[in-house]
Amino acid sequence: MTDTVAAKIPVTVLTGYLGAGKTTLLNRILTEDHGKRYAVIVNEFGEIGIDNDLVVGADEDVFEMNNGCVCCTVRGDLIRVVAGLMKRQRPGKPAFDAIIVETTGLADPGPVAQTFFVDEDVKAKTQLDSVTALVDAKHVMARLDDSKEAREQVAFADRIILNKTDLASEAELIAVEQRLRKLNPLAPITRAERANVPLDQVLGLGGFDLERILDINPEFANPAHGEVGHVHDEHCGHDHHDHDHGHDHGHDGDHHHGARGHAHNDDIKGVSLSLDRPLNGVKFTNWLDRLLGEQGQNILRAKGIIDVQGEDRRMVFQAVHMILEGDLQREWGATERRWSRAVFIGRDLDEAALKAGFEACAA
Amino acid sequence: MSFTFDAQITAALFDNSGAIFTLGDGSVRFEDGSYNAVHDGAILCAAVHPSGDGVVTGGDDGRVIWSRKTEAGVLATSVNGQWIDSIDASPESKLIAFSSGKTLSVIDATDVYFRRDYAHERTVSGVAFDPKGRRIAASTYGGCALWYARIEKQKPTMLKWAGSHTGVAFSPDGNFVVTMMQDAQLHGWRLKDSKDMRMGGYPSKVRSVAFLSNGQLMATSGAQGAVLWPFIGANGPMGREATEIGYDEGSLVTLVAARPKHGVLAAGLSDGRVWWADPAGQGLNFVKADRGAPIAALALSPDGRLVAWADEDGNAGVVEA
Repeated sequence: MTDTVAAKIPVTVLTGYLGAGKTTLLNRILTEDHGKRYAVIVNEFGEIGIDNDLVVGADEDVFEMNNGCVCCTVRGDLIRVVAGLMKRQRPGKPAFDAIIVETTGLADPGPVAQTFFVDEDVKAKTQLDSVTALVDAKHVMARLDDSKEAREQVAFADRIILNKTDLASEAELIAVEQRLRKLNPLAPITRAERANVPLDQVLGLGGFDLERILDINPEFANPAHGEVGHVHDEHCGHDHHDHDHGHDHGHDGDHHHGARGHAHNDDIKGVSLSLDRPLNGVKFTNWLDRLLGEQGQNILRAKGIIDVQGEDRRMVFQAVHMILEGDLQREWGATERRWSRAVFIGRDLDEAALKAGFEACAA
Repeated sequence: MSFTFDAQITAALFDNSGAIFTLGDGSVRFEDGSYNAVHDGAILCAAVHPSGDGVVTGGDDGRVIWSRKTEAGVLATSVNGQWIDSIDASPESKLIAFSSGKTLSVIDATDVYFRRDYAHERTVSGVAFDPKGRRIAASTYGGCALWYARIEKQKPTMLKWAGSHTGVAFSPDGNFVVTMMQDAQLHGWRLKDSKDMRMGGYPSKVRSVAFLSNGQLMATSGAQGAVLWPFIGANGPMGREATEIGYDEGSLVTLVAARPKHGVLAAGLSDGRVWWADPAGQGLNFVKADRGAPIAALALSPDGRLVAWADEDGNAGVVEA
């Protein structure tokens, strides 16, 4: 008998406000001829098998962990459902090619994501792949104004699908994209009509995979073209018209929602930090621990790649509220620019203090 | 005797005739090779039928099924077809209790018309009968509810403790209720005065508890060895230290199995090994010494002499201790 290391099942969390198109996307995932087996966990109960797939009901049973930390909440129903799904596994084979968790329009994706980090049984069998947020291009601006949940869903995402683009003008789309990017500089934005985004841009992203943090959006800590502080490096060398990050090129000269974001007083924003000098590893770790301990409730997501003095490998970290994971990853490439980048997305963040704290970690 | 199954093994049990395994493909496999494919989807929980003949299983098809070697029949279905997450049966009262979502249901193995459904505010994670089969403990978020098994309209006694409780057991003398918790600890209550008992210090989640030695010891999984809590006198484990046997730094005990009437204990490890021991004696007897996938199911026969085990790779066996 040999030790078997069963592949972990990737989990995609699909979020988005009511009417954004989640059900349309789910229907596509379940009915397209992809030869894969998915388990879909939804809030409306009903176990409907669609060919190979399984749709299971969840009940948004959110609970606090006993560590006394109010933001460390997990979804008990997910632990239960995932444990049940794993019992359908056959020896040596995963039970499903992927698990998709659809959260209701008002749900907070935080407890869902944390479940996959905190519960040891769930962690052993599954791996959170990404949080994908669907937004309705026509109505998202109003939702972002009046709904805290809508802002949090966008802030939390690893990828944003800007849906129903056929219902909005190009100028409206650019304005929406700029606002989304201020809320969340990490997530690439993909435009779609009737949720017609290729499935490989929704599933299998590795958004929570430490090794892939850079690959998803190499420019995540770099303000968009045309915005203050944008730095050109090797990632920007390609033809702007072929850009697939959906990021703003700043060419239109019609920049009323620009970099300073004065048009919307969003309580949630992304703060990008970078430093060209190496950081002191101990100082940085202490600063990050303290920051997440004190402000973790308000910090929804954080990701970063750090150049640690005296270390040939890149230090990569990510956090969901106070739950932090980090590791030394591959070595810096010979031609790679060695610099430290971090993005914090959260509520009421003090950008100047974050910048000062980060820079004080310089070696 | 050894077996290899093409599905996850979700429970091991001993009925009057021998070992029984329940599987993730919905089948119930008897030691003699006979089997019943009874559930559509995985079997999530199982208990020996109150008669001692065959098993009652709950599945993700929302059904409770009684399987014997020659036949199988549906005893109950859940409200709304929800998954049956936990089940227990009492040979004393002949009652069967099971949970689905927030509901605890009770049926009578000797009366097809008897059924009670009790609602909870949060999902029920585990059910356990008291030794006489008259009361049922249902673990849930924030504590445990105690119900009288036969009374139709009642308010349960709530045993409260913050946090998520993932499973429950009654002590064989009926004086204590112990729950397993999400955050790697146990919690207990002395029923006569609802006094709390905290039992912590585990490196991992506790998935299983078992009473042995006339209920004077409670063994648990969740550590590098089997943890033994003393349940002696009116205070149970309060103010006492637990002991640990079979400590092995390189593995964790994933499951324990015992019988209240006997003084022996079986433990299944995360590295695939299984041992049997008499805590009053010396040393461990490895009934499965080769390493492999983590042990996923474990049972001790009523006479304490046979161990049924299964691992996550679909291998299973019945061995003499």
